[in-house]
Amino acid sequence: MINHFIPKNLSEALDILSNHDCYIIAGGTDLMVQKHRSSGLLPTFEKDVLYISNLEELNFIRSDDKGVHIGATTKYRDISSSELVPQLFKDVISELASPNIRNMATLAGNIGNASPAGDTLVALYVLDAYLVLQNKESKREILVKDFIKGVRKIDRKPDEMITEIVIPHHDLHYYWKKVGSRAAESISKLSFLGAYITKEGIIKDLRIGFGSVSITVVRNRDIEKQYIGLKIDEFSQQIPEIIRKYDEIINPITDQRSTKDYRKKVAMNLLKDFLTKIK
Amino acid sequence: MLPEYKTSVTKVDNADKMAGKAIFTGDIQMDDLLTAVSVRSTIAKGKVLDIKLPELPKGYYFISAKDIVGENICNIIFDDWPIFVDKQVNYLGETIGLIVGEDKGKCLDLAAQVNITYEEETPVFEMVNSYIYKEFTKGNPELFKGAAEIYSESFATGYQEQAYLETQGMIVYFDNDVITVKASMQCPFYIHKAIMRVTNYPENKVRVIQPAVGGAFGGKEHYPSLMGGQLATALLKIRKPIRMIFDRPEDIAFTTKRHPSRTEISAYLDKHKNIIGLNIHVHIDGGAYKGCSGVVLSRALIACTNAYTFDNLIVNGDAYCTNKVPSAAFRGFGSPQSIFAIELFIHHLANHLGIDPLELRNKYMVKQGDITSTNGIFRDPIVLKELRDKAMKMSDYENKVKLYSRPGSNRGIGMSWFLHGCGFTGGGESDIIKAKLRIKKDKDGVVTFYTSQVDFGQGNRTTLKRIVVDTLGIPEDKVIYDAPDTSLTLSTGPTAASRTIIIVGGLAAKAAQHLKDIWVDGEEQEIIEPYVAPNFIHWDEATMQGDAYPGYAWGVNIVEVSFDPLTYQIKVDGCWSTYDVGHCIDERIVVGQADGGIVQALGYGYLENEVAIDGKFRQRNLSDYIIPTIEDVPELETGFVDNPFPYGAFGAKGAGELTFVGGAPAIALAIEMAIKHKVNKVPANPEYIMELLSHED
Repeated sequence: MINHFIPKNLSEALDILSNHDCYIIAGGTDLMVQKHRSSGLLPTFEKDVLYISNLEELNFIRSDDKGVHIGATTKYRDISSSELVPQLFKDVISELASPNIRNMATLAGNIGNASPAGDTLVALYVLDAYLVLQNKESKREILVKDFIKGVRKIDRKPDEMITEIVIPHHDLHYYWKKVGSRAAESISKLSFLGAYITKEGIIKDLRIGFGSVSITVVRNRDIEKQYIGLKIDEFSQQIPEIIRKYDEIINPITDQRSTKDYRKKVAMNLLKDFLTKIK
Repeated sequence: MLPEYKTSVTKVDNADKMAGKAIFTGDIQMDDLLTAVSVRSTIAKGKVLDIKLPELPKGYYFISAKDIVGENICNIIFDDWPIFVDKQVNYLGETIGLIVGEDKGKCLDLAAQVNITYEEETPVFEMVNSYIYKEFTKGNPELFKGAAEIYSESFATGYQEQAYLETQGMIVYFDNDVITVKASMQCPFYIHKAIMRVTNYPENKVRVIQPAVGGAFGGKEHYPSLMGGQLATALLKIRKPIRMIFDRPEDIAFTTKRHPSRTEISAYLDKHKNIIGLNIHVHIDGGAYKGCSGVVLSRALIACTNAYTFDNLIVNGDAYCTNKVPSAAFRGFGSPQSIFAIELFIHHLANHLGIDPLELRNKYMVKQGDITSTNGIFRDPIVLKELRDKAMKMSDYENKVKLYSRPGSNRGIGMSWFLHGCGFTGGGESDIIKAKLRIKKDKDGVVTFYTSQVDFGQGNRTTLKRIVVDTLGIPEDKVIYDAPDTSLTLSTGPTAASRTIIIVGGLAAKAAQHLKDIWVDGEEQEIIEPYVAPNFIHWDEATMQGDAYPGYAWGVNIVEVSFDPLTYQIKVDGCWSTYDVGHCIDERIVVGQADGGIVQALGYGYLENEVAIDGKFRQRNLSDYIIPTIEDVPELETGFVDNPFPYGAFGAKGAGELTFVGGAPAIALAIEMAIKHKVNKVPANPEYIMELLSHED
């Protein structure tokens, strides 16, 4: 017997989670597709389902000194129209799925789904975004990169739910490219985000992330750190070495959407293009 | 004098479709309606040794070859495709049986529990086993021996999904003792015939009625016959209404698609760089059963010189048996494959010879009176030059060629020109189809006419009605023209081959004129009008010699693209088309065909990648199989040159396929210019472009 719960508020939702192992559905744009059986039939859920889209407590966008806080039931549509949300995020969302999906889907859902092709994940990794997980008793914070453990594997305990995502403020220059198969309604073949800060000719920060080229987003802080502090002309000489380092750690696969050779080559092209544009 | 038909009317199906009132197969409500789901082979080739069924609850049935009353054959020209696998499996996903019952979920569960033991055989997926071979020559190929140079290239095209909005679906039920069918279809009489053979029911005990149909593109020409045979077999055993509708993944995985192809062309050149002639060999992948692959091959071969005249030709073609889903009808029917090849070949040859490609193309452009590839004659006036000039002007082609040919431009523009033979190939119309159109008038002067033409969205119900209304010169509400019902209509043939307006439209106009000629007020009158081919058409199928088509429609496509050298992605920036479809009866409907045709063709040219690995298609749904969205399509500009055709209705020729055949070569040529590298394959997707350019790194 599968239970379907529609809680009235967050506290009721957390009560339910303390007693039931549930799928949590906000917009449902991933889960309803994954659990789709056949036209005319109900989706097949093998455990209880908790519907949270009506939890207004979690529908918010606010900003404080820690960053921009986005609630778990806030729709992409509202995120992309908020003045508080950094432009980079709006760029990412504008290329995500289609308007009808963006009217339903949530950022928390994209993280919870933990797909290698999750469109927002690269930006969340690169911006060191973290999320708040809450259970009946307590809250904890965890970086998105630590929360995602693999393909559709996340560090959520059954009694917890994501209540908000925090995107720290930044003043990074960025270079974002989603490589999809067409102009809209496209699942990415790969994505790339490079970001940096330079001041008085010195690299003050460097961040690089790749999506859809591995089981999760590829971001390597150790590599990035080696080049922070360099003067730009010193840095330019290091570009072949940086490319070599990423070449070693990126091993994409061939699937129904693209080939490993294409993913690898384009990832490297974009990396090179980004690195040579740093000024 | 031709009436002024440029003004367009509201399509007769608009209101219902926009209000959501149109009844498609999935919308039909019936008491006791059962669901059928397919049990499919999980191997590509082998013998079925044993079928173990789960325990079937009351009211659930397994239907298979053993239940067939008549013959286990779905005839699509040949008798090779079985309704259900008897012993031999020839492709992955071939239907072994149906599970039928009330609850679809339970049917799916039961189908998954059917346990089949096979003796596997080694399947063949490559084009090595030819099952149909055709050849013909023109002029004197002996002259090839004197060539100063031979230039050869090979071209390839991939699979393509029809990707109709509505997937395949069908309902069968008994209406008294008549097997009655409602389905998403193109050809009611094909299904009718298929069911008669499978059930041994006589003609008047099988009835096929067309509900609203959401797109077809050739994909519903043959496949519904197979479903009809399966469901009618189940109906005879269960005697309750049964419906089967495919989900998208099932439709993509197991229904017919466009033939992949490889075309080799050699040009024999004299020492002055004149083309003595061509040797062309077209290879198409027909899949597990021949079906209509022979006819597709014929069209590919006849169209292999496209809108050019070459005096000497050797033309060969093979269709190959592979252990994959059979390939079958799809808009263009073989000609897109060979027209892609020749359009690119001419350009590559010109570049090889150091001649401006446009100059070389102009030199061999077809003129009225020229001999066709099969030694017929292009009898009617040809306005291809006007179409070319108009399209070049609309697109600013010449300036853009100069600009984009420069190194590093990352932009390109490509032009194709092309023809499409309207109607069935050769003697098909007069020898095989033998269309007859019934028109009748009641005492009150209300006229009803009947065709077997299906309007799957393209607008023929509107235009055919208009032809009759305007010929009779009576108010529109005095003419009744409904969707086909085989119990009422005589067969006017399938809705295929761009034949509906040129052939059936012509027949409707003739029938209406005859009725008008004998019109007597207050009397019931009826006319049965048979199709008579123009008497100059002579075609020998065995030698493939003579006039292959009663008439030709012509077109020019120009496509402009830009190229991202970092991601190898192509963006379509502009698209201009000009067409001679004879005379446009309803310009908006023709523009609808033009817009849809070119977008489908652009998709074929640069996006739509469908790959089978070990007989299994990798692309499962429409998020993997990529068709263009509106965001991928630029403003489409379309122009016409009026060139009335004497044998069609009000001068009209075919428009459905014409608008597809030139898109892939046009975009491929644009891509070549943008990436500064020869293209020999479609789809020219980013992965292929990367491969091409990686040799230059």
